[in-house]
Amino acid sequence: MSDLMRFEGVCKVFDKGLDETVVLDDLSFSVHEKEYLCIMGPSGCGKSTLLKIAGGIIAPTLGTIELKGNRYENGIPREQLKNFGFVFQQHNLLEWRTVYQNLHLNLEIFRLKGKEWESRISEMLKLVGLDAYPNIYPHELSGGMRQRTGIARALVHNPEILLMDQPFGALDAITRKMLSYEMLNLWKKTQKTIVMITNSVEEALLVSQRIIVLNRQGKIIHEIDNTIPMEERNEDIGYSEEFIRLRKQLDKIVHDIQG
Amino acid sequence: MKKKGKSFTGMMHFLSPFLLLAVIVVLLEIYVAVSGIDPRILPAPHVIFGKLFTRFRRDLLKDFLYTLRVILTGYCIAIPGGICLAAICSQSKLLSKAITPVIILMICIPMLTVVPILILRMGLVIEIRIIAVVLQALPVICLNTLSGFRKVESAKIELFESLGATRRQIFFKLIFPNAMPQVFTGLKLGCIFSTIAAMGADLAAGNSGLGTKISAYSGSLMTDMAYATIIVVAMIGIVLFTIVCEIEKRVVVWIK
Repeated sequence: MSDLMRFEGVCKVFDKGLDETVVLDDLSFSVHEKEYLCIMGPSGCGKSTLLKIAGGIIAPTLGTIELKGNRYENGIPREQLKNFGFVFQQHNLLEWRTVYQNLHLNLEIFRLKGKEWESRISEMLKLVGLDAYPNIYPHELSGGMRQRTGIARALVHNPEILLMDQPFGALDAITRKMLSYEMLNLWKKTQKTIVMITNSVEEALLVSQRIIVLNRQGKIIHEIDNTIPMEERNEDIGYSEEFIRLRKQLDKIVHDIQG
Repeated sequence: MKKKGKSFTGMMHFLSPFLLLAVIVVLLEIYVAVSGIDPRILPAPHVIFGKLFTRFRRDLLKDFLYTLRVILTGYCIAIPGGICLAAICSQSKLLSKAITPVIILMICIPMLTVVPILILRMGLVIEIRIIAVVLQALPVICLNTLSGFRKVESAKIELFESLGATRRQIFFKLIFPNAMPQVFTGLKLGCIFSTIAAMGADLAAGNSGLGTKISAYSGSLMTDMAYATIIVVAMIGIVLFTIVCEIEKRVVVWIK
C-alpha cells in the first residue's frame, strides 16, 4: 500500500490572547491508499483539530502535509479540497434544502455541472438507502437518516478521501451499530480511503484496518494494526479471538490515558 | 371519527380570534347600552360598523388609498434597504457593533416628532410621509436581519470551508437563507411599524391621509367616524401582517 497522505511534524497552537494552547504536538503519520484508519483519543486531545487540518478547514501552525506526492507547507490549498469529503459530528445539513438539494450543494460549490453529476446524487442516495426520500427536508428525517444524508453528501463529488469526525456520536446505540456495519460495507464497495475519529473501541475494531491513539497532549502514543480478518467482521465479531485480544489491548491503552 | 375530531380542532384554531373579537364587540355593545354613556365619548359598535359601511366610499376611500400608497411605498423601500444595510454591516463585526445602538435609537424615535422637522426642510409633500415610514420600518427590519446574519452555526461555516466556498457563496448559500426566520420577524414588525409611522406622519403633517381624518373627526366630536377610520387603519396593518405570515409559511418550511 502506498501513502496517499503524509503528515510531517504537524503542530497546532491556538492563540487566546496571552495564553497559547498547544493542541497538536509534532504529529507524524501516513494515511495509506484505500485504508480505513481510525483515530482515537481522550476528549480535548485535538483529534477533531487534526481532522480539520487534514480536510483543509484550518491550517497547521507548523509542519507539512503531503497529498499524492505534493508537499504543502500551509495546509491543504483550496484547489485540492475536491479530494476530501467531510462527515461532521452532527449531521450539519442545511435545513432549508431537501435531501437532494443538500447533496447538490457540493456540486454547486465545486462547480460540477452536467447530467453525470446529477445522476451521481441519486446513486449516492441509493448507496446509503435514502433513494426514496430525495424531496424530504432534514427535519422530517430520523437522526440516522440525517447522518446517512451527511455521508452521501460527503461522497457526492467523488472524493478519494472520506474524513469522518465522530460521525455516529450523536446517535442512539442501535442506530450507531447499524451504521458502523453499513460504513464497513460502504468502504468495501466504494474503495475510498477513510479516516474516522471515534470514541468507541468496538466501532474502531469493527471497521478499521489501523488505529492511531493520541494522548491528552496531542501526541501519537500507539499505532495498532487491526488484524481481525474481514470474514469475522459481522454480528459475531464479539466471539472473534483477535477481537477479544485487541479489545483488551485497546481498553488498557484507553484506561492508561484516562489514568 | 378521529379525523373529524382533528378537523374540528383545526377549525377552532382558525375561528378562535374571530370568536374572541365577537365576544369583545358584544360586551362593548352591552356596556354602552347599560351604562348609557354619551355616544360622543363611546359610540356603540353597531353604530361604528354602520358608519363604516355607509360612509367609507364617500368619506374615507380617498384618504384610504392615499395612506395605503404611503405605507406600501415606504414599506417596499424599507425591505430591500434594511436587508442591504444589514448585509453590509454583517461583513464587519466592528461595523455591526457600531451601528446597532444607532439603529435602536432610530426605532425608538416616534415619527410624530420628526415629521415637523422634515416639513421645515422639504415642505408638505407626500414624500415626507414615505420618508417617515422608511425611517421607522427600515431600522427594525435591519436589526432583525442583522441578528439573523450573525447567528450562523460554526459547524455550517466549516462545512462551506471544507468545500472551499468563496465569501460570496457563503453569504448567498448559507448566511442569507439561514437568517430567513429572523428576516421574517423583521418584515412582520416592519409592516406594523409602517402603519404606525404613517399615522404619526399624518397627525403631524395634516392635510390628507387617514391619520388626519381621525384627528379631524375626533376634533369635531364625530367619535363614531373616528373609530370607523381607526378600524380601517387597523385592517391595513392586519392584512399586511397576514400576507407576510403566509409568505413566511411558504419560505421558512423547516420551522413549525
